[in-house]
Amino acid sequence: MSKVKVNVCMGTTCFVMGGSNLQELMEIVPKKYGDKVEVTGSPCLGLCSINWEYSKAPYVKVNDETVVEATVEKVLEAIDKEVEKLN
Amino acid sequence: MFIDIDVSQQKKYNQNAYGDYFVSKRFPETGRLLAVLSDGLGSGIKANILACMTATMLLKFMEEGTSIKKSCETIMNSLPVCQVRKISYSTFSALDCDEFGNAKIVEEGNPQFLWVRNGKILEPDFEVLTSKEFPNRHMHIYHLKLQTNDRLIFCSDGVTQSALGSKNLRLGLRREGLIEIVKNELSKEPDISSSNLAKRIVKQAILNEPDRLPKDDVSAVCVYYREPRNSVVFTGPPYHQEKDSFYAKALMDFKGKKAIAGGTTANLISRELNIPIRTSVNLNMGKLPAISYMDGIDLVTEGILTLTKTCEYLDTDEFQNDAAGELANFMKDTDCITFMVGAKLNQAHYDPNLPIEIEIRKNIIKKLSDILQNKYFKKVNVQYM
Repeated sequence: MSKVKVNVCMGTTCFVMGGSNLQELMEIVPKKYGDKVEVTGSPCLGLCSINWEYSKAPYVKVNDETVVEATVEKVLEAIDKEVEKLN
Repeated sequence: MFIDIDVSQQKKYNQNAYGDYFVSKRFPETGRLLAVLSDGLGSGIKANILACMTATMLLKFMEEGTSIKKSCETIMNSLPVCQVRKISYSTFSALDCDEFGNAKIVEEGNPQFLWVRNGKILEPDFEVLTSKEFPNRHMHIYHLKLQTNDRLIFCSDGVTQSALGSKNLRLGLRREGLIEIVKNELSKEPDISSSNLAKRIVKQAILNEPDRLPKDDVSAVCVYYREPRNSVVFTGPPYHQEKDSFYAKALMDFKGKKAIAGGTTANLISRELNIPIRTSVNLNMGKLPAISYMDGIDLVTEGILTLTKTCEYLDTDEFQNDAAGELANFMKDTDCITFMVGAKLNQAHYDPNLPIEIEIRKNIIKKLSDILQNKYFKKVNVQYM
């Protein structure tokens, strides 16, 4: 069974722009989706430096989709979409 | 050889200032180290001022290039005499040594130092120089050639005279008692750090007192000659991207403990050396991003925020249980720290909308290396890339 992979950027920009509030995902996601979804941190996704003038940190990757200005709600929404694709 | 030096002190009970004073200065370019321990007459503020003046003046003389003998002689001849007690205002021990094992020591009034080699106490010869102005003042001058694993232990009379007049130690701990404590500690832990040995000597001296209250200022300075423990902190991507692999290899070839501070930096090393990064189960650790793991690297943390916090922790010597605390301990546990600092900027860090002011990497490293050198007596090399 393939899994939905969530990758949270823990780099400097993302962390100060709100990434520090995404810790909740580590508790909510396993409760809500069981082992269908896997959340991990990444030292840096490298997205803030690409379009730095208009950086939309914090970034989270849900499979290949990038969630910009991520909040717990936005990430859960993106996960829902990907989980639906699985079904 | 690396000279591991540290001091531990306790003030006399009921006093709010230390009456003993210790200063030391390391010269990384020449491998020279100067240190002075001075004991001021009496206790409290008065003693503190006397000891502080003696120690700092003596260190300054030696630093300016005056020989240790001449510097000490000048101080010995110029120290005033207390009008009430008719004794010198302060006593001192001065050390001028280098990483090649050459050491010159001068003592005036302080208890004789201990020289320990392979658990045995060596008794070196010394020259006595009597003051022309004050015939009751004598300097003892020693020239030693130290080897790896040798230790020197200096203390104020607060250690050797601890428990003076008590039932068990009528004459105080004395030199014999101090030797016993040192031998005992070394048999339990032969490679004990200077910092811990000094702490234990002071603690034991105070425990000897029947009421556990120090009756005088108690200080112990330990010097330990050992092979240096090296570490490297790699932070920031190199300015020229084509040099990434060169520097990644240099990191892996480094002999010693290795840390990476920076998300992009960790990715770069992972990519160049093909070592996967494993993150921890949490995203945060306290108020900082959590640490990650890579085979062959002892510590992987986020960059700027963690380094800034590490700097703060080292400055106050109070560590929290987070990534910066780990990095601070990593640095504290080694003698020679090399910083490999990448000069590439991440423009996104300088966005004025960022809620936290993010410092320039070079500035943090400068601050960190100053603290490590001046407060923790570490040898620091900074390499920009």
